[in-house]
Amino acid sequence: MLDHFFNPSSVAVVGASQTPGKIGYDILNNVLQHGYRGAVYPINPKAKEILGRKTYADLVSVPFDIDLAVIALPAAAVMKVIEQCGRKKIDSVVIISAGFKEVGPHGARLEEELAGLAGKLGIRVVGPNCLGLIDTKSSLNASFAAGMPLGGNIGFFSQSGALCVAILDWALGENVGFSRFVSLGNKMDISETEMMLAMEQDENTRVILGYLESIEDGPPFMKAARQVAQEKPIIVIKSGTTTAGAKAASSHTGALAGSEHAYDAAFKQSGIIRAQSMQALFSYAMAFASQPLPRGARLAIITNSGGPGILAADACDRSSLHLSPIRKETADRLREFLPPTASVYNPIDIIGDASHERYEKTLSVVVQDEFIHAILILLTPTASVDPKAVAHSIVKLARDADKPIMTSFMGEKKVRAARKILQDHAIPSYDYPEDAIAALDAMLSYRRWREKPERQCRVFEADTRKVREIFASVIGQRRHDLIESEAREILRAYGFRLPESRMARTTKEALGAASEIGYPIVMKIASPDVLHKSDIGGVRVKLENEAMVEEAFFDITSNIQVRRPEARILGVMVQEMIPQGREVILGITRDLQFGPMIMFGLGGIYVEVLKDVSFRIAPLSVESADAMIHEIRSFPLLRGVRGELPADIEGIKDALVRLSQMAIDFPEIIEADINPLLVCAEGQGAVAVDARITIQE
Amino acid sequence: MVCLYVGSTRGYSGKNLTVMGLGQRFLRDGLKVGYLKPFGRLPVKMEGVLTDQDAWFIHRVLMLKDPVETLCPVVMTHDLMMEGLRGECPGLGQKILAAFDAVSKEKDVVLVGGAGKLESGTFLDISGYDIIEKLNASTLLVDDYEGEFYLDSMLDARHRLGKRLLGAIINRVDAGYLDRLQDLIVPCLEREGIPVFGLLPDDAVLGSVMIGDVVDTLVGDVLCCRNKLDGLIEHFLIGGMQVDRALEYIRKTRNNAVIVGGDRADVQLAAIEAMTQCLILTGNLYPNEIVVSRAELKGIPIVVVRADTYSVAKKVEELSRKLRLKEKEKVYYGIQLIEEKVDFQRLYETLGINV
Repeated sequence: MLDHFFNPSSVAVVGASQTPGKIGYDILNNVLQHGYRGAVYPINPKAKEILGRKTYADLVSVPFDIDLAVIALPAAAVMKVIEQCGRKKIDSVVIISAGFKEVGPHGARLEEELAGLAGKLGIRVVGPNCLGLIDTKSSLNASFAAGMPLGGNIGFFSQSGALCVAILDWALGENVGFSRFVSLGNKMDISETEMMLAMEQDENTRVILGYLESIEDGPPFMKAARQVAQEKPIIVIKSGTTTAGAKAASSHTGALAGSEHAYDAAFKQSGIIRAQSMQALFSYAMAFASQPLPRGARLAIITNSGGPGILAADACDRSSLHLSPIRKETADRLREFLPPTASVYNPIDIIGDASHERYEKTLSVVVQDEFIHAILILLTPTASVDPKAVAHSIVKLARDADKPIMTSFMGEKKVRAARKILQDHAIPSYDYPEDAIAALDAMLSYRRWREKPERQCRVFEADTRKVREIFASVIGQRRHDLIESEAREILRAYGFRLPESRMARTTKEALGAASEIGYPIVMKIASPDVLHKSDIGGVRVKLENEAMVEEAFFDITSNIQVRRPEARILGVMVQEMIPQGREVILGITRDLQFGPMIMFGLGGIYVEVLKDVSFRIAPLSVESADAMIHEIRSFPLLRGVRGELPADIEGIKDALVRLSQMAIDFPEIIEADINPLLVCAEGQGAVAVDARITIQE
Repeated sequence: MVCLYVGSTRGYSGKNLTVMGLGQRFLRDGLKVGYLKPFGRLPVKMEGVLTDQDAWFIHRVLMLKDPVETLCPVVMTHDLMMEGLRGECPGLGQKILAAFDAVSKEKDVVLVGGAGKLESGTFLDISGYDIIEKLNASTLLVDDYEGEFYLDSMLDARHRLGKRLLGAIINRVDAGYLDRLQDLIVPCLEREGIPVFGLLPDDAVLGSVMIGDVVDTLVGDVLCCRNKLDGLIEHFLIGGMQVDRALEYIRKTRNNAVIVGGDRADVQLAAIEAMTQCLILTGNLYPNEIVVSRAELKGIPIVVVRADTYSVAKKVEELSRKLRLKEKEKVYYGIQLIEEKVDFQRLYETLGINV
């Protein structure tokens, strides 16, 4: 896939320049300088030869086939070149040129025209406004970056060209190698979605890394990511999550940064590992690129100094890993050679006078212990230890290890050389133990995600015809908010359990309804103009007899009459009162990039004040529904505290999945809330007590 | 016994205030005064009896002694409306008559407060017109002067009420308009046989809104200075501009409240510096803690409301037009105004009352 981009047998550089320092020169130079063995055709009407290669006036003049064209001409001139590409049957083009969507509406129009033409001619495009691309296996550097990255197994794509430059330079300094290195630019044609798929198929790529500011089309991105992540880890850093960042992102490539919740949910559901900083991005990459995934959460820490060991233990505690108990056999073996003052329990402190031999012996024992899933080796440069020797020992033992081994040699001058040895042999080396733990944590989460393949979503029988009728009627009345009775019908159509309910227009009718339903009852104002009923005194609960019903009817209707004289009061809703249950809130909202999003949280202050909610993108699988529920901080309250019975979690999952189906079936729902969903004890189900639904045409 | 019906062709024009003003003066001049509001639309239960909120308030201000049951014989509850729509409530006219009989015993004047406009209540057969006829009342019409079509309404009322139309009081007269009214409109009415008993000016204090009412109507969440909710706001400003302009704008407006989005810390702080009377934050967005602390320091209440800025501005505009009778200061101020501006001598003469 996209072979002509990454492994072309011939490359044309359109806009090749004779002047060093100009982009057209730099690109050509890069193509020629780094070992590419295919044919290279510089295109420039004003030159006969550049950098020792025969130069042609235009593409059509080249008497050979061309696999890939790299264009570095002013924006206005690009259109013509694309036409020529069509004539030459060139199907892959990298457009370096800036001056398109990123500069404003004029550039956006140009880009649109270009996209139209390229599409018509069947030409795939990377860019425009990009740095170019690099493939280390085919030694192709079709970019104007300064230098060529080392070969490696990390595939990297970025929306920002300039960031690419910085990263390349950094990588060279840190000995990090790449399989592919791509700057996507404006993503006129090829986006991150296809790039991920291409890298999945590339046998030289083991880890996929990305920097994104925006995602154009959420659902295909998620689908592709899910597929790719099953095979290879995808680590992404997404910027523009804070409002300041979003403003900056919006002007950068004229894109919408998108909502944080949606991206977070999308990444979680697709198995994408999210890095919160550039530093994290690469420290994760180092680990994923070279180490096996841990089979479980049990970590062993080997250290020659107590302090760092404790810091690492703290970091471990905050992660999903935990400090492994050390089994008797291992402890005994360690005691055979460790001094009495050493600690054989985790963190394994081999104390300050340890030499590389003690490190080696300890590591050997720990590596062989199948009970332990991951190892972190800490070193402080005491007088007794030779860091380089320790590094060599680690390299030796890691060769046959079936578990990830991470290192943190703390310090700088004394450990620099040792770190280099580790890096050269693909052992992740971190400046601080916390970074190592964070990387291991990411690896564990990824493994767990991979092991839990998402099952198909359940599909429910729903009375969609009824829903369509109701929506049509509401729109026909020029409304967008459904009144309670309508919302109830919608929920009923999707199989939600609802409390028994009757409309009552007079006190007499209310009394009749109450006796039919049975006391105690709840009474709520029924008015299309009153959305937040309880705020305005429009709800009364626990009405136990006729007198209370009469009083409540008077109170509620008078209240609204006085406070909202313009509201149309249809009467009241008399409802069965559900016995003790826990209140949760479910919701639907629409994200511009990803479509319908489902929200979950515990009711009342938990959502309103503490904002303790979780999100997932619909369609929801049963696993995602489960994850959403467990994810909120107040989840333990659902499990039951102080002798309470646990809540019916299955009932909540059922409700979430039904809601998700509703969101998918009806894109006209732009917002919906089931608040509250009363969840009874385990086995007794959940009841949707009140709901609001907002639609649009 | 004189029966004086105070009504209006348009509603929300100052009837209640006029009733209170007239009542106070009558009482002071030694007359025995009775009051009822035949048809009320703000149901409330006082001392276990269903009555109208405004009627109850007036009853208390005038310190009348008649029983609560007679205050408002027909209260528009939701149930009554339903019955009315179904044609199931005959005899409302009788109830009103009975209440009137009870109240008017041994009284020199009975003030009858109209609800809404003269047509209000027609569907229940108890419109202003119906009541005036049943009670054989003299009618005083209180209206805002909103343009020349005011004349049309007045002449139409004259046509329908005939001799029962006693005269008019014109309310909320803009100072700039006073001359025109006095030179042209009043003489025109007088020529048509409609005496004008007073011109009440448009008054900033009377048009002001109590912060507590804003909180109530918009269902706001008060974040600080809860003891300042009885403050009166004369002008509402929308804080949409740049901060430096905001400061000037707010400083030079008297007794103002600033309506601004909850996330605009810059404008909020500027408003506090400029000593606004109240901050109304829209969009259900809660402000930063620093804003709340500064407001607390300066004694400025902050109210967070769910609605957007435009809806809030509209609501607040409505509020300013309706006199909420629980604002005692405004009421006494208004009564004072009536005392000053109404020609009571002429009124007494026309009514045939000797004091």
